[in-house]
Amino acid sequence: MSNRQASTAGAAPASSPRRAAPKQRPRWRSVKWAPYLFVLPNMALFGAFTIYPALNAFNLSLYSSSDGRRFTYVGTGNYSQILSSEEFWSVARATVIFVVATVVLTTVAATALAIALNAQRRGKGLLRAAYFVPFLVSPVVVGLIWRLALERQNGLVNTVLDAIGLGQPGWLLEPRLTLGVIVLVGLWIQLGFYTLIISAGLQGIDSSVYEAATMDGATWWQQLRSITLPLLLPTMLVVIVLSTIHAFQAFDYIYTLSGGGPLGATTLIVQYIYETSFQSPIQFGLAAAATVILFLVVFSATLINYMAGRRREAV
Amino acid sequence: MALKKATPSAGGPKGSGSGASGGRGWTSTTGKRPSTGDVARGTVLTAGAILVLVPIVWAVLSSLKSPEELAQRPPTLYPHEPTLNNYTEALTAFDFPLYFLNSAIVTIVATLLTLAVNSMAAYALAKYNFRGRDTLFVITLATIMIPLQVIFLPVYQVVASLGLVNSLWGMIIPAAATPTGVFLLRQYMLSLPDELIEAARIDGAGEWRIFARIILPLCRPALAVVAIFSVIWRWNDFLWPLIVAQDESVYTLPVALARFSGQLVVPFHLVLAMSVLSIVPVVIIFLLLQRQIIAGVAQTGLK
Amino acid sequence: MRGHTLLRTGAIATFSAAVLALTACAPGGSDDDPTPGGGAEPGSETIDWEGFEGETLDYVYFTDGPDEAATRDLIGQFEEETGAAVNLQIIPFAELEQTLQARINSGNPPEVARVAQWYPFADSLVDVRTYLGEDYPEEFIAPQAAAGTDPEGRFLAVPNDLTMNGPFVNVDAFEAAGVELPTADDPWTWDQLVEDATAVQEANDMESAIAIDKSGHRVSTVLSQFGTTLLDDDGAALDPEMASAALTELNDLVGSGAILRDFWLEAGSRYAGAHEQFLAEQVPVYLSGNWQVGQFAENASFGWSAVPNACAERCGGFPGGKFLTAFSGSENPELAVAFVDWMNRTEQQVAMAEAAYWIPTRADLAEAEINYPDRVEDMAAFRADVEVTPEDAFAANAHPAFGAAATLVVEEVSAMFAGQQDPAATVEAIENGVAEAAELVQP
Repeated sequence: MSNRQASTAGAAPASSPRRAAPKQRPRWRSVKWAPYLFVLPNMALFGAFTIYPALNAFNLSLYSSSDGRRFTYVGTGNYSQILSSEEFWSVARATVIFVVATVVLTTVAATALAIALNAQRRGKGLLRAAYFVPFLVSPVVVGLIWRLALERQNGLVNTVLDAIGLGQPGWLLEPRLTLGVIVLVGLWIQLGFYTLIISAGLQGIDSSVYEAATMDGATWWQQLRSITLPLLLPTMLVVIVLSTIHAFQAFDYIYTLSGGGPLGATTLIVQYIYETSFQSPIQFGLAAAATVILFLVVFSATLINYMAGRRREAV
Repeated sequence: MALKKATPSAGGPKGSGSGASGGRGWTSTTGKRPSTGDVARGTVLTAGAILVLVPIVWAVLSSLKSPEELAQRPPTLYPHEPTLNNYTEALTAFDFPLYFLNSAIVTIVATLLTLAVNSMAAYALAKYNFRGRDTLFVITLATIMIPLQVIFLPVYQVVASLGLVNSLWGMIIPAAATPTGVFLLRQYMLSLPDELIEAARIDGAGEWRIFARIILPLCRPALAVVAIFSVIWRWNDFLWPLIVAQDESVYTLPVALARFSGQLVVPFHLVLAMSVLSIVPVVIIFLLLQRQIIAGVAQTGLK
Repeated sequence: MRGHTLLRTGAIATFSAAVLALTACAPGGSDDDPTPGGGAEPGSETIDWEGFEGETLDYVYFTDGPDEAATRDLIGQFEEETGAAVNLQIIPFAELEQTLQARINSGNPPEVARVAQWYPFADSLVDVRTYLGEDYPEEFIAPQAAAGTDPEGRFLAVPNDLTMNGPFVNVDAFEAAGVELPTADDPWTWDQLVEDATAVQEANDMESAIAIDKSGHRVSTVLSQFGTTLLDDDGAALDPEMASAALTELNDLVGSGAILRDFWLEAGSRYAGAHEQFLAEQVPVYLSGNWQVGQFAENASFGWSAVPNACAERCGGFPGGKFLTAFSGSENPELAVAFVDWMNRTEQQVAMAEAAYWIPTRADLAEAEINYPDRVEDMAAFRADVEVTPEDAFAANAHPAFGAAATLVVEEVSAMFAGQQDPAATVEAIENGVAEAAELVQP
């Protein structure tokens, strides 16, 4: 890349004031072109496999199609149909609640866990690995396992709860309870991963800062509030942004866990789009319009998150 | 992640005791006996870990149950007549080594590709100031938000027109440029000191060499995180490999496993057994990479 | 500096141009205007059976267990006879639709696919009469042949096997409770079914009396027995009174605990089969269909059998079935049709039926004896019900809007079971929804 350009640019002049550089080349050229070359492979892949299909989907949202091969132009018809559909709004509501709950819980729990693990002396690696194991399981299987465990009459959880006299709650039968369940199962899956990210951030905090604070007589709570948390803010921002995006995309484990039930209480936006595309009646245009809406919402949410973080000069 | 220069905790509190990698306790305890706080914390953490593992353990135990026992209501806690039948049935029902190999190839190659491509893009976005940088970053973020389930038809068309269908490359290439990876790596690189790069430039190093020899080694923790993420995702990925693959010779493990799911019958006992088997390699990789993250940071520092 | 401005302007320009270009024209890949069936005349082409040496055929398939081995055997025979190579590509049923759509849309469909619903791909299928003659549909029983024919008369999907819904009973439990089983001459009425099931449940201390799969086909079975169907040849056809009687019956059963409510609500919008409860011996009567026979023969550790459907206004069950389809855009449509033809010949249908406990769809096999390896009487019960099932039930299943209607019915019935709406409101919602769905598919 830039080295090739360098060597063709000419030999070094004999009277170079600096230490004799093995390859001297017009510095401006290589440094200025380098970033574009670095970015190229990634962007080329994005362009071909994500952006172009996304644009295609955006385009498709202006048409109606039941087989992906014949199209009828409907302009904004799909959008007005979705935005006036009660089902869409209940899906949107459930999705927003799910995302907010997941992000808040994940960030708080991962931070707390990372700090606790960091302070732990023995068995850190083992504990960390234990919390990470759920992340390794395929989401479909996660859903299956928890579905079996949470059945009201025959699930493992209720069998245990019943034995200690706490009754048999309908985990997958009460709409609000089920929403809580999918948030918690999502947390169970991801906690290890996000804890890892925050742990990496924690490691970068200089211990001498703590020593100084300790000598000044600060308690651990004060240290936590004034040193750890502020320095962790950039890492926490990463966790917030990533978990927001992934929460909006949650589908696999929810579909096998609750099927979007009971009665659509846990049908989130991706399931809604999926069912519109592949369950009768098939409406590709409508699904594409819902995708555009999803994209715009998530994009704005992420931008807001990001700008807010930027203002705190965290990034 | 705003990293400061890390110093090994040699003079710090005696926290770094048994084998735990460089733990810096920031409590004010310097004594050797664990305080009640430590004990409480340890207990809570361990209890939490056990709770988290219970469903997994139950799944593993259930995979040793016969289909009749699995169907029992209420379910049994442990297999009364443990049997390895599920495993033998699943392994002999199809060509396990082939699918394992395919999965391994896809996972390893895809992860390497992802690491390479993502780190290059992250470096450019973090350490250079060029026109369009912010636009590109925003586009990168934007592309995370489009889940595959909703655009896979047009993606498939692109892949088909490139002749990549029904091949392992068709599974590897399309999703290699993960926005998550770019985001994480860029974040990490932002905190690496610019002076490093400047000094290297003054010494006459080429841009690529700066990237490959100086920056990348410093990024080991972040690279490890991205690698773990990619490995787990690729190993368990189901929908895209299913759609791209047509012949059984290019099936990966999850796809082959799903073959058992007919219209009306899901052989849960086989699913469990195969799921348990699939977790094992990933656990191993995680344990290997985990140390990278923790050890890597301790080695940073200006040369 | 110049380089950058140029690059940036160029990027922006290209981007905008791309967006404009894409929005200006219709999406989608293929230029050809797809005509269902390829537009050829029936019988205008013939199959050259000698000419298939060395060619390949992709067969997209999904399996429910015992049929896979039998299919592979038949494929082996086909390969020997014709010299062609068949690629059996097994995928999970849940992803069948997406996989086929993706492949058709990008121009590489398989030659043959085994499907449950073929209307979504109608425009990409071959009218097999082109190669096999105008009278080919008559080789199959009339209702199923009609189910594979589009409104223009093109035979786009060849019925490969017939499924029939019907009840299974736990014979041991019935004996223990001293209750007699119904027979073909003396089938249950609905009231008798409920009475007997409840008695057996109590005598054996089981979880509930009746289990029923969470499926639009099963609900349609009950609807049909109470005298009505969702659709018929002319579109929406639900009789509100009869439907209300059917749904009230079901609702009361859920209310009294005879049918488990949890089961219907916990699965969300996924299909769920209640066979687990039956296999765990927690329910004496289970409304399902003949595809369970093979599974139960292997896994049930108690005495069981299939019994005739219960009658209310009328008797019989509700049909379902799979079709073999040949794709016109594939590399070798002629070979595809040859394969479809071959797999549906008498000998082959008998082989599949015997191995997988299928019910054949050929007219010449409708009365014939099939030598099922086991459970002959159970299969006989289902086949007897095929005779008794009313015609409009077949018509309902064959209607292009049935898939959407079935999903809708399950949704509304679940809401009813959850207590959110009463049977009358449910019937109304179903009526409206089915009418909408029927309209959507009229081109």
